[in-house]
Amino acid sequence: MKLSLNWLKRYIQVNLTADELSHKLTMAGIEVEKVSKENNDVVFDLEVTPNRPDCLNVIGFARELSAILDQKKQIPSFKPHKMPTKKYDIQVDDKKDCARYIGTLIENVHVKPAVDWMESLLKSIGVRTVNNLVDITNFCLMETGQPMHAFDADKISGNKIIVRRAKKGEKIVMIDGVERELDPSILVIADDKKPVAVAGIMGGKESEVTEKTHNVLLESAYFDPVLIRRAARKLGLSTDSSYRFERGVDFDMVESGANRAIDLILELAKGDITKKDEVKAVSKLKLSTSIVVSIEQINGYLNDKLSIHACKKILNNLDFEATLFGKNKIKITPPSFRGDIKQEVDIVEEIARIVGYDNLPSTTPLIKPSQILPDEKRQKRNAIRKALLSQGLNEIITYTMVNKRSLEKTRQESLSGISIINPLSQDQEILRPALLASHLNVLAANINHQQKDLTVFETGKIYIGGSEKEVLAVALSGKQNSDWRNHARKTVNYYDLKGVLVKTIQDVFGAEITVKHIKKNYFDETQSVAIFLKGQEIGEMGLLSDEVVNNFDIKNAKVLFAQLDLEKLLKEDWRHKKFVPVCEFPAIIRDVSLAIKTEINFADITQEAFLLGEGILKSIDFIEEYLGEKIQKGYRGIVFSCSYQSDKKTLTDDEITKLHQRIVASIIQKFSAIQR
Amino acid sequence: MINFAEIRKQIEIDLAAVNDKNSLEVFRIKYLGGKGVVKEVYSSLSSVAPGDKPSFGKEANALKNDLSAMIEQKTLEIKSLGSKSSDNQIDLTLPGVFQKVGRPHVLHQTIEEICASFEKLGFVVQEGPEIETEFNNFTALNIPAEHPSRDSFDTFYVQAEDTTNKGRNLLLRSQTSPGQIRVMQNNKPPLAVIIPGKVYRPDAVDASHSFMFHQIEGLLVDVDVKFSDLKGLLTVFCQKFFSEEIKMRFRPHYFPFTEPSAEVDISCYICKGKGCSVCGKKGWLEIMGCGMVHPKVFEHAGYPKGKYTGLAFGMGVERIAMLKYGINDIRLFYENDKRFLEQF
Repeated sequence: MKLSLNWLKRYIQVNLTADELSHKLTMAGIEVEKVSKENNDVVFDLEVTPNRPDCLNVIGFARELSAILDQKKQIPSFKPHKMPTKKYDIQVDDKKDCARYIGTLIENVHVKPAVDWMESLLKSIGVRTVNNLVDITNFCLMETGQPMHAFDADKISGNKIIVRRAKKGEKIVMIDGVERELDPSILVIADDKKPVAVAGIMGGKESEVTEKTHNVLLESAYFDPVLIRRAARKLGLSTDSSYRFERGVDFDMVESGANRAIDLILELAKGDITKKDEVKAVSKLKLSTSIVVSIEQINGYLNDKLSIHACKKILNNLDFEATLFGKNKIKITPPSFRGDIKQEVDIVEEIARIVGYDNLPSTTPLIKPSQILPDEKRQKRNAIRKALLSQGLNEIITYTMVNKRSLEKTRQESLSGISIINPLSQDQEILRPALLASHLNVLAANINHQQKDLTVFETGKIYIGGSEKEVLAVALSGKQNSDWRNHARKTVNYYDLKGVLVKTIQDVFGAEITVKHIKKNYFDETQSVAIFLKGQEIGEMGLLSDEVVNNFDIKNAKVLFAQLDLEKLLKEDWRHKKFVPVCEFPAIIRDVSLAIKTEINFADITQEAFLLGEGILKSIDFIEEYLGEKIQKGYRGIVFSCSYQSDKKTLTDDEITKLHQRIVASIIQKFSAIQR
Repeated sequence: MINFAEIRKQIEIDLAAVNDKNSLEVFRIKYLGGKGVVKEVYSSLSSVAPGDKPSFGKEANALKNDLSAMIEQKTLEIKSLGSKSSDNQIDLTLPGVFQKVGRPHVLHQTIEEICASFEKLGFVVQEGPEIETEFNNFTALNIPAEHPSRDSFDTFYVQAEDTTNKGRNLLLRSQTSPGQIRVMQNNKPPLAVIIPGKVYRPDAVDASHSFMFHQIEGLLVDVDVKFSDLKGLLTVFCQKFFSEEIKMRFRPHYFPFTEPSAEVDISCYICKGKGCSVCGKKGWLEIMGCGMVHPKVFEHAGYPKGKYTGLAFGMGVERIAMLKYGINDIRLFYENDKRFLEQF
C-alpha cells in the first residue's frame, strides 16, 4: 500500500519529517518499507497487516496518525444527497455473497480528462488516470477504502443489475482486455443478458466508462471476503479493489463512500441523480457488542501505570466509542471498520501500540520449574549424533519430500510414503518412505564436484501409513581417512560402516549389535545384513548394488548405506555406567591362526570359544583375515587373539595352555578348521 | 713434563667448540680415550719425583672427574638443543596427522545454540510431529476457518485422513506453533518450553524461500505473565545470542494466536544501524515474531478462562543462521555440499 504525504495532509496537519513519520507509523504497527520522493510529494510504501483493512486508505492513516500524535483530523463530510424516488432495478440472488449493494444512476455527465489536483495525487501512488469518472472512483477507493465501479448505464441491457454466481463456461472480456472464463464459484454483476463485471475484482470492457459515456451507474457494495479472495486467486487477478474486499470493507462506508463519489461526480462531471436502489442484508454488519475493560486489567497486562483518561483518549482518537464506566472501567464500542476488535486483549493491544511498545516497561520473567521433564528421546538422539560426529561423519539435512520416480531408482518400488495432495513440483510428490534416495542425491552432487570421500549421516523422518517415524541413515563412499604417512589409502567397505554403527551403539547404549544376511533389491547380493539389537531388528546395512548407484549417475564408486529405526533404538536404555575395579592380575594373550571354510562365520567361532572359556577367556580380538593363494580353495585364513584373565589370581602358564588347547581343538573339530 | 694448567686451558677451548654428538665424541676420545690425554697423564706418573707423586695423583684424578662431569653436562645440553644434525631429524613443518571429526549441520548447530540459551533460563525442549491436524495447526491457534493460510496455496495437505475430523486430510505443519497446543493439552502451567522443528509451506524455491525450513517456538505460561516479561526475556536472549551491543525494538504486528503481537528487530550488526544491503537500508533486521498468548488459544487448549497469561515467540532458524554466518542462499542448507558443511 502506498501513501502520499500530500494526500494525507488534506486530513491532518503533519509537522514531522518523512523519517520521523516513518518511524512513528512503523512503531505503531504499520511498517514503512520504503520512502521515496516524487515530484513535490513524499510516498511511503507500507505493509498493512491483514487484520487492519481500515488502514488501506488515506483516511484510515489520518485516523491512526491522529491517535499516534494525539492531534485532530478533518474528515470530509459524507452526507447523503437528496435522492430521487425512482428506483433502479437491482436484484441480489444471495445476500450471503453480497450483503449490501447500492446502485445510483447519474445522467448527463460530462466525461473529461482528469482534474489536475486529483491526477497528481493518484500519480504519486502509481494509479493511472483515465477520465474524470474513473478517476473519481479510484480516488474514493484510496481515500475511503470503499471500492466503487462506474458502468456506462447505456450498455446495461434491460436497465437491471443482477448480482449472481457466474454460469459454467460463461465468459467476459474485462477492462484489461483479457477474456476470462468463469464458473459458479465466481460472483458476477450481470444485466439481464450477461455478466458486466466480476464482482469486487474488475469491470467488463464493454460497459466501461469512456468519453462517449453520458449516463453512469455507480456501484458501491459489500461482497463476501472469502468469495472474492477465492475468485481473485482462481482468475490470477489481484486488483486494488479485490485486495480490499478480501480483507473486508467497512459496511457503513458502502453508503458514505457512494455519497462521497456522488459529491465529486456532481462537482467535477456535473449530471443529475435520477434513480437509485439499495439492497441490504442487514441494517448493520454485526460486530462484537461493547467491551468493558478496567484500567487495572490494562496496567496489569502491560505492567505499567497508564491513566484511565489517557487510555480513553487513545481509543477516542481511533474513533472508538469509549466512555468511562464506574470509577475504573471503560466501556467501548468499536467502530464498524474495526472488525478485528473483539475482546479485552484487543483493547490492550490498541493502547499498547499507540503508547508505543518501546515506551512500555521491560522485566525479566521469573521462570518457575515446570513439571515437564527433558525429552529423553532427544537426548539420546543427540548422543548418537555426537558419537557419529566424533567418528568423522558430517551431518546432513535433506528435503523430506521426494519424487516418486526416485523410489524406482533406488529399487524401493514396494514402499509408498505419503502423497502430498498439492505439491508445487514433482520433487514434492511424496513424503519419503526411506532416506536412501535423499542420500544418494547428496553423494551424487558432491561427487559431481570432485568430492569423492564422503561420510555422512542424517537423523530424519520417514513417512509410512499416515504417520511419521524417525530414522538414522549413514552413507559412506570413497577413501578412508587420509594419513600421508600411509599413502595407499583404502576404499571404504562394509567393515567401515559396521564399525561406525557398532561403536555408536556401544557408546550410547552399551550393547552389541548382531547381523544376519538379507537380500534386498538395492543391496549387493552378498554384502547386506539386517541389524539386531537384543534380538530385535533395528535396521539394515550393506553395500549398495551398482545398479542403484548408477541410477543416480554415480560412476566408479562403491556406496555403503545403513538405515536404522530410531523409534526402536531411542527406547533402549542408556549405557549402564557402573564402576568395576580394574583387574590387578595380569592377562595372558594367546594367538590362534586357522584356516576355516569360507562360509563359516567368525561370530560362530567366538561363540564356541566363550562357551568353553570358563569365564576366564575375557575377550577375543580379531587380528587379520587372509584370502589368498596360500590357503586351500574354499578356505580363508583368520588370526585372532584370546585374552585370559582371572579376577582372583595370577593364572599359571600351565592352566592357560590347557584351557586354550581345549578351546582351539574344539573349534577345529566343530568347524573342520585347519590350524596354520 | 705435564702442565695441568695448560691441559685445562686446552680443554676449555676444545669444549667450547663442541656443539653436537659427534664433536662431543671426538672430544671424549681426545681426553678420555684409550690413547687420550688422561691416559697419557697417568702413564707419565712413573716419571714424577716420588715426593710430588701424591699431589700429581690428586690433580690427575681431579682432571679425570672434571672431564667426565663436563661430558655429562655437555650431553644434556646437546640433547636439550634438539640436536640439529642428529639421526632423529624430521621436517617439523610437514602436516600433522589427525583423526577426522565430523561437523554437525549448521542448522542443527543454530538450533542447539538457541535452545541452549533458553534452557539456561529454565525452558525445556519439546518436539512435536510434522504431520498435524487442522485443529492443532489452525483452529486451536485462533486462525479462522476461512483464513487464507489454510488454503492449499499456503499449506501442504497429505493423503491421510484426520481421524479426529472425519473427511478432512492431515497436513504438514506450516509452523511450529501446533507444538504449543500439544504441550498445553498435556501439561498444566507453570510451563516454559522451546520447540524446534521442520515446517512446510508451498513456496517456490529461490535464494530466500524454501518449501521446507526450520522454526523454533517458545512458550511461557503462568498465572501472571506480563507483556513486560516478553520484552525482557527476548532482550536477554538477543543480547546473549547476537551481541551485548545490539539495540532492539518491538514493533506491533499481527498474529492470530497472540494479542498484543510484535515483531522483534535487532539493529543491523553489519552497518551498526546505518543502513546497508543486508538490512535493506533500514538499519534493522527482523528476527522473530512474538506476543502474549491469545485467550482463545488457552480456551482451545482447555485451560480455565482468565486463569493464565502467557507469552509466545517464534523464529526462523534458516534466517538466523543466514544472518549470523552471512550465508546468502537458503538452498545451500539442503544441498549438503561437503565444502559448505565443513565450514561450520
